[in-house]
Amino acid sequence: MITLTPRMKNWLEKMGAHIGTADKKGFPTVIVVETAKVEGGGTVLFKLTAAQLAQVRANIEENPFVALGPGGLACIRAPYQYKGPAKIKESVLEVQVTEIYCTKPGPEAAARLDILPKEDMIKFDDTRWRDVGPPQ
Amino acid sequence: MKLTAEMKEALRIGSKSDVYVYLTTCSLSGKCNTVIQTFTDVYKDEYIFLPDQFAQKTKINLNENRVAVVTVAHPSEGRMWAFRGSCNIIQWGHPPNYSFQGVKAGEALEGWGEWTAREPFETIDPDLRAPAAGQRGVIVLKVEEIYSTKPEEAGQKAG
Repeated sequence: MITLTPRMKNWLEKMGAHIGTADKKGFPTVIVVETAKVEGGGTVLFKLTAAQLAQVRANIEENPFVALGPGGLACIRAPYQYKGPAKIKESVLEVQVTEIYCTKPGPEAAARLDILPKEDMIKFDDTRWRDVGPPQ
Repeated sequence: MKLTAEMKEALRIGSKSDVYVYLTTCSLSGKCNTVIQTFTDVYKDEYIFLPDQFAQKTKINLNENRVAVVTVAHPSEGRMWAFRGSCNIIQWGHPPNYSFQGVKAGEALEGWGEWTAREPFETIDPDLRAPAAGQRGVIVLKVEEIYSTKPEEAGQKAG
């Protein structure tokens, strides 16, 4: 089971994410949710509006796999991509993160981080960034 | 589908309100990939151009499934749009007459194949700047649909 670093959690919770979904044939639909909540270390919860639910419900039901790109300033300061299966519980999209990638352009782009030991993933984050989350 | 003046202003090279965008592609089996893109431009009012900077999964996905979505990541205030349409990479080595959705490879590569000749590499935020500017080609998205990403209006036609 994956545990996001405290910094990843802080940026995701404050800035939300662009959520890539697709039908089972690979036709993509992206929604933007502006905040999130991380539970249990690696589960990201997004409260969806009625319009967002209508837009992605069918996709999630036939193809639960989603990709998350951190929203707002987090696209620059926390350039990671999170992937995993999602389900909808009432109006909440619940994403179980099973893959984490670095998306900073350059030699580390696409480096998969979740396969590192937990302490190494934290070290990867800590040695590249000085903040612990978005500005208050 | 033609972009509005406001959309073009956000996406064009040299714009004062230049934005970072996400490009979401998908494998044929339905696995999405959402990656940040540091440069964008608009071609003939209905195409979005992006430099191909060696994003491997994006390339693999577009090889098998030529549809993608561009969403405005930052700054996104007043720019909550998703642009969806046919997408492909025109890369160095393609013959000049190779055409994707009406875009000729020769024109795309001559104009945007060395992106940093048009837009300084230093304009990229240092946190997203690669150690060196490398480019394999130009990602072309023909905008066929524009929808709102505002939470309360998600999916509504925009533009």
